[in-house]
Amino acid sequence: MLNLSLLQRQIIESPLHSRLFVTGMAGTGKTTAGVERIRFLLEQGVPADSILLLTPQRTLQEPYLELLESPNRMAGGEVTPATIGGLVRRMCDLFWSFAAEQAGFLNPELPPIFLTLETAQYYMAHLVRPLIEEQGYFESVTIHRNRIYSQIIDNLNKAAIVGFPHTEIGTRLDSAWFGDPAQRNVYADAQKCANLFRQHCLENNLLDFSLQLEVFTNILWHNQQVRNHLTQSYRHLIYDNAEEDISCSHDIIREWLPDLDSALVLYDQAAGYRKFLGGDPTSGWDLSRHCEEVIEMNESFVSSGNVIQLSNALTTAITHTGEVDSQGTETAMEFIVSHFHPQMLDEVTTKIEMLVANGVPPDEIVVLAPYLSDSLRFSISNRLETAEIPWRSNRPSRSLRDEPASKTLLTLAALAHPQWQVHPPKFDIAHALMFALNTDLIRAQLISEIVYGQRDLRLSTFDQINPETQERITYALGERYSILQTWLEEVRGSEPMPLDFFLRKLFGEVLSQPGFGFHENLDSVRVAASLVESIKKFRTAMEPLNLNGVDLGQEYIEMLKDGVIAALYLESWRSEDKHAVLVAPAYTFLMMNRPAAFQFWLDPGSDGWSQRVSQPLTHPYVLSRSWDETPGRLWLDADEAANEIETLSRLTSGLLARCREKIFPALSDLGAAGFEQRGALLKAFQKVLQNQQAEQ
Amino acid sequence: MTPAFTPRPSQEQILRYTGGRLGIAAVPGAGKTHILSALAAKLIQEGRLGDDQEILIVTLVNSAVDNFETRIKRFFDNPLQALYKYRVRTLHGLAHDIVREKPASVGLDERFSIIDEREAGFIRRESVNAWLASHSLDDYLDPALDNSKRDWVKRQQLPDLLDSLALAFIRSAKDRLLTPEKLRQQLDASFSPLPLAELGYAIYADYQRALAYRGAVDFDDLIRLALTLLENDNEFRERLQYRYPFILEDEAQDSSKTQERILSLLSGGEYGNWVRVGDPNQAIFETFTTASPELLRAFIRENPSVDMPESGRSQPSVLALANHLIDWVMNSHPDPNVRTALSTPYIVPVPENDPQQNPPDNPEGIKFISTKYTPEQELEAVAKSIKGFVDSFADFPIEEQPTIAVLVPRNQRGVEMVNALRQRDIEPIELISSTSETRAAAGALSHLLSYLSEPGNARKLAKAYEVWRRDWREKGVENSEVESGKLEGNYSTTQLLNYSTALLRRMANVENFIAPQNANEWLSILSESEPVQVIEELTQFRVNVQRWLNAVTLPIDQLILTLAQDVFSSVSDLALANKLALVLRSAADDHADWRLPELTAELAVIAKNERRFIGFSDDDSGFDPEKHRGRVVVTTMHKAKGLEWDRVYMMSVNNYDFPSNMPNDRFISEKWFIRGGLDLAAESLAQLTALESTSEYDWYEEGAATMRSRLDYVKERLRLLYVGITRAKRDLIVTWNTGRQGEATPSLAMSELMGWIEGE
Repeated sequence: MLNLSLLQRQIIESPLHSRLFVTGMAGTGKTTAGVERIRFLLEQGVPADSILLLTPQRTLQEPYLELLESPNRMAGGEVTPATIGGLVRRMCDLFWSFAAEQAGFLNPELPPIFLTLETAQYYMAHLVRPLIEEQGYFESVTIHRNRIYSQIIDNLNKAAIVGFPHTEIGTRLDSAWFGDPAQRNVYADAQKCANLFRQHCLENNLLDFSLQLEVFTNILWHNQQVRNHLTQSYRHLIYDNAEEDISCSHDIIREWLPDLDSALVLYDQAAGYRKFLGGDPTSGWDLSRHCEEVIEMNESFVSSGNVIQLSNALTTAITHTGEVDSQGTETAMEFIVSHFHPQMLDEVTTKIEMLVANGVPPDEIVVLAPYLSDSLRFSISNRLETAEIPWRSNRPSRSLRDEPASKTLLTLAALAHPQWQVHPPKFDIAHALMFALNTDLIRAQLISEIVYGQRDLRLSTFDQINPETQERITYALGERYSILQTWLEEVRGSEPMPLDFFLRKLFGEVLSQPGFGFHENLDSVRVAASLVESIKKFRTAMEPLNLNGVDLGQEYIEMLKDGVIAALYLESWRSEDKHAVLVAPAYTFLMMNRPAAFQFWLDPGSDGWSQRVSQPLTHPYVLSRSWDETPGRLWLDADEAANEIETLSRLTSGLLARCREKIFPALSDLGAAGFEQRGALLKAFQKVLQNQQAEQ
Repeated sequence: MTPAFTPRPSQEQILRYTGGRLGIAAVPGAGKTHILSALAAKLIQEGRLGDDQEILIVTLVNSAVDNFETRIKRFFDNPLQALYKYRVRTLHGLAHDIVREKPASVGLDERFSIIDEREAGFIRRESVNAWLASHSLDDYLDPALDNSKRDWVKRQQLPDLLDSLALAFIRSAKDRLLTPEKLRQQLDASFSPLPLAELGYAIYADYQRALAYRGAVDFDDLIRLALTLLENDNEFRERLQYRYPFILEDEAQDSSKTQERILSLLSGGEYGNWVRVGDPNQAIFETFTTASPELLRAFIRENPSVDMPESGRSQPSVLALANHLIDWVMNSHPDPNVRTALSTPYIVPVPENDPQQNPPDNPEGIKFISTKYTPEQELEAVAKSIKGFVDSFADFPIEEQPTIAVLVPRNQRGVEMVNALRQRDIEPIELISSTSETRAAAGALSHLLSYLSEPGNARKLAKAYEVWRRDWREKGVENSEVESGKLEGNYSTTQLLNYSTALLRRMANVENFIAPQNANEWLSILSESEPVQVIEELTQFRVNVQRWLNAVTLPIDQLILTLAQDVFSSVSDLALANKLALVLRSAADDHADWRLPELTAELAVIAKNERRFIGFSDDDSGFDPEKHRGRVVVTTMHKAKGLEWDRVYMMSVNNYDFPSNMPNDRFISEKWFIRGGLDLAAESLAQLTALESTSEYDWYEEGAATMRSRLDYVKERLRLLYVGITRAKRDLIVTWNTGRQGEATPSLAMSELMGWIEGE
C-alpha cells in the first residue's frame, strides 16, 4: 500500500454510506485518495459496475486508469469512467423515444443522429455560408469562416451548459458590449444563425452537443424511468476535478447526490482552468453543501518548501497584492536566458540531458509552453531525439488536415478513387510515398517522378523503371512500392466501399506491415485511427439523410480541404510511452492530473500565459452562469485585466502545485518570430528576481 | 550619464526636460536618435518610472528600433537597470501591440493576420478590375479622344489610374475611421451626386470583404483599429496611459493625423508627457498619406519647444546651400502659396569642441551642371563622372575610400542608372525598393526551399550549403582569413567553404550522402581521399539537411521558421523570416493547390525584388552607407532619408519632377486622357471630404482639389530637394534633363541655387 496520510486513509476508508466533499490544492493527495477509494470500494465487495467515475474531461481520468485496467481487478463488471457529455449522449440514445416528441423533433419515430463537433460544423457551414455570401452577415468582423461556424456552435453549447434558452445568446452578448457600435450587429447575426441551426437539427433529428445536453437536462433527467435507470445503475460516485466541470453537470450531481449510497467529490480550490470552456468552479463548490462532510487537505505531497515559496512570491507579484517575498525562491527556479530562440531550445535540451544523466527519470521532466505550435514541438522533439531522450507530446488542438500521416492516407485514397477527379500533384505523391513506404524524400521523389501519371491517376510498376535507377531506389524499397502499387490497382478494380472501410483495409493490409511507414509508428497509427473514426462519424451522421448521388468519401475530402471539418482534433490524450519527457501546452499538463519534479517554462515573455483567446462572436464570461445580468452591466477593460491577472495566477500556482523541485523559465530576448516579448508572467518573474538581488 | 556623451547647447536644453509636452524641430544630421536615447536613459536613471511602467519610444522604421536599443543600453553600466523600462516601437508595431491585446473588441479573431502591401495590392487590383468590368468611367474621359484611343486608354491606362485612386481613397477613408458601412450611410444621405466617392466606396467595400475572408487586416487597418480601441475603451486607454508615462516620438513630421491622435490619447492629452522630435522640412511621402508637416509645426508652435539647429554632417558650403533653399522658398518663391514648404531653423555647424566636426569647407565640392542633357545623356554623363571618381581612389585602402550615392526621383530612373553603371563595369548597390538585406535573407530561404522541393538535386544542395554557411561567405568578402585560426587544420573558412561546395556540386547521387544505404555511403568513400575537416564539415551539414528534410511536412510558415532558426542569427533576418513566413502562409491559404515548388517560386520573386516586399515598416532593415565604402549606391531620394554620403549625385532636377506651379509645368497626376486634366485621386478625396463635412459651405467643386493637389505636390518636391541636398557631406553634383518629350526645363529651384552659387 502507498504511503498514505491519516487524512487520506480516513477518506478512503470512510463508510460505504458517506458523501464526502474533499477540497485542497493540487498536490495534496486528493486524486490518490480517489483512486484508493475505488480500490477500497472494490475490496469491500462493491460491484464495479455500480461505481461511476466522473471527470470533466477524459484526460483527467489518467491516474485512475492503471487501477481500472489492471488485469487482476475484481469480478462484477467494470467501473464506468465517464464525462457528463458521454453520459448524456448515452442516455439520449437509450431513451430517445421518451424525449423526441417533447423536444420538438419533427420525426420522433425515426432514430436520432448524433453530431460530433465536425459534423455539426459541416451542417453549420451549409446553413451559414449563403447568409455570409448573399446577405452580408458578419461583415464587420475579420475572421475565417470556419471560425464563425465554430463560435456559433460554441454559443449554443454555452447556452446549454449554463441553462439559458439559446434564443437569448444574442441579447446577452449585446447587453455586455460597449465600444465600436459597428460591431454590435454581429451578435444579432450570430443569434439568427444559431436559431437556424437549431431548427435544422429539430427537422432532421440531428443532435449536437448542445441539444443532447438540453434534451437530457430539460426532459430525460426529469423522467422517472430515466432517473431510476441511472440511480439504480450507479450507487457510488467518484467525482474528481469537480471545479472544472460545467454548471449543468453540477446541477445534475447535486440532485443525484441524495440517491447515491456514497459519493466522493474532489475539488481543487485554486484551479478553474476550464473557465473559458464553460467550467464553473462556483457551482462546483456549491456541491459541498450537499455532502455530509467537507474535508480540507492542506499539506502538499508534491512541492518542496522552496517551490511553495516561489508560488507565493509569483502570485503576489502577479496580483500586485503586496511586497514580494523572494526568500528561498532561488533554489526553486533557474533561468535559461539566451538571445535567440533556437539557442534557448538548445540550452533547454542540454539541461534536460544533464538532469537525465543525473538519474532523473524522463517522466519527471515536463516542457511547457503557453501554446505549442507545430514548429516549436518539432524543434524541441527533434533536439530531444538527437539527444536520445524519450519524449511524448499531447496535441489536443491540432488539425488532422495538417498531419503527414492523414495526408498520406488521403493522397493514396485519391489514387484508388479516380471517379473523385482529385488529381494530387507529383509533390503530394512523393510525400505520400515517403511516408507510406518509410523512406527518404529523395528516393520517394525519384520514384514518383517516374511512376506517377497525374492525369489517369495511376502508378506504374517498379519493373518498368530502368535497372540503374532501380538500384538507386534500392530493391528493398522497390519491393514495398510494388506491394502498395499492386494493392491500389486491385482496389480500383473491385467494388467501391465506404472511405473508412477503404482506409482500414489499406492500413491493415499494407501500411501497418513491417517495413511500411505505419508499422510500429504509434503516433501515425493514432492519426490514422482518428481519421478513420472521423470519416466513420461523418458517414453515420450523413447516411440517414439519404443524400442521393453524393459520394460521402468525396464529400468528406472536400470538406476537409475547405477546412470546414478542420476543427477535427486529434485525440492523442493518452500516450503509450509514459516514461518520457512530456512536451505540452501548460493547460494540457494541468488537465493530466499529475506532478513532475522539473518543469521547463518556455517563453515566459509570451502573452499567451495570461491572455484569453480572442473570439469576436462569443464570450466565455458573459455567457457564463456567474455573469451578473444587471441591466447596464458591461464587460469592461477592468474585467479583462482582472481576468488576466486571475488566469495567470491560477495557472502559475497550478503548475507550481504540480512541481516537486524546480522550474526552469527559458527565455530568449527574441521570440521564435524574432520579436521581443514581455508579457505579464515575465514581469512577475522580474520582480521576484529583483527582490532576490535586493535581499542578497 | 556616461561621460562619452557631450551634449550640444540645444541638446543640454532638451535633457533638462522633466515632463509635459515638448516639440523639437531638428535639422538634418542633428542627432535626433542620440538625444532621444539620452533623454530616455536620463528619465530612467532619475527613477521617474513606477511599477510596470515603460518609456514608449516611437519611431518610423524597424531599423531605428534596433538603433535605439543599442544606444540606450550604452548609457547603463548594468543593462539590467534598463531592462523592461522602455519599449521601442514603430507606429505600426505599437498599433499592433494595442490591437493584439483586445482583438475581439474590434471584431478580430485570435488568428488575424496582417497582409503586406504587395498582397494588399493584389487584392485591391482585383477589386479595381471587378469594378471596371461592370462600370464605366467614360464621364471623366476627355471627350476629344477618338474611339481607338479611348479603347486603348481603357485597356492600358485606366486600371493603373483607378488603382492609385483606390489606394488613396481607401487609405484616406481608413484614416478618417470610415468603414465601408459608415461610408455607405453617408453616401445614402448625401444630396449631391458624388460619383468618385461612389466608385471609391465600391472598391473599398469589395477590398475589405476580401480581407475579411482571409481573416486579415492591412497596415492602415491596424492604425485605424488601434485608434478605435483607444477612443472607445476608456479603461483600456487609462491602463495604457499608466503603462507609458512618457512618450518620445522620433521622425514626428511623418505622422498622420490618426497616428498623432493615437499618441495624443496614449499620452493622456494636453498635459501628458509627450516629446516630439522631427524636421518638418523633411516631410516627404512616397504614396498618399494624410501626414503633413503642418501637424508637427502646429505642435511646436502651441507647446514648449526647442530647436536643434546644429549639425556636423555636411561641409559648411552644403549647409549654406540648404539654408539658402529655405530662405528662397520662404521669401522669394514666385508662388506665395508654396512659401510654407520649408521653414527655419537654419542649419548651423557644430561648436568647436564637438566630437563630430563638420567636414572642412569646400565651395568647389558643389557643382550644378547646367548642360541641357537628354535623359540618356544625363545617365551617360553621371556614369562617366562616377567612373572617373571611382578610378581615382581605386588603390586606396578601403577605410579611406569615400561613400557615394546617386539620388533619383523615381524607381524607374534608378533602374536606368543602375544599367548605365553596369555598362561601365561598376556594380552598384540598389536601394531602389526593397533593401539588399531583404533580398539576401529571402534569397537564402528561397535557396533552401528550392533544395527541399527537389532534394535529389546536387546543385541545389550545394547552394543550400552556401546558405547554411552564409556567415562565412559574408565575412569572407571583407576579411577572408580572420576565422581560419579557429579551425583545426590548414583550411581557412573560405577555402573550406569553396572546397566543400565544389564537392557537393559534383556529387552524383545525393541520396548516398543524405540517406545512405548499404555500402554506397558517399562520405565514407570520400573520407579515403579528402581531409578530415572537410568530412567533419560535411557531416555537420548533413545533420542539418536531414533535419530540414524531416521538417518538409510542416506547414510552410513553420517550415520557414524552422529553417530560419538554423541559418539566421541576426535580429533583422529572424524578423524578416517571420514576415516571409506569414506572407507565404497566407499565399498557401489562398492557393490551396500550391505546394513547395510554387511557394518557392513566390519567395524567389520576393527575393529577386521583382515585386516589392514590405514588412511592418516602410523600410525593411537599416542600411548603413559606411559599410559600403568605395561602392556606388543608387537610391530614390525618398529612400535616402536619414542616410548620408561623402559624395551625392542628384539627377533629373527638372520642372517635371520638381515643378513650381508655373504655367508651363506639367503634373504627373494629371492625365492627358482625363477631361480637364483632373487629378482623379485628389478629386475623389475631395468628394470624401465633402461627404464627411456637416457645413453647408463645404460643398464639392470639381477641379478645386486638382489645384490644391498641385500645391501640395510642389511643396513636397521642394522638401525632397532639401532632403537630397542635405544627404551630401562633402560633394554635391546636381544635373537635369529635358524629359521624355524634350520640353522640360531645369527646375526653378535648381536655377535659383545655381545662380546663387555663382554669385557667392
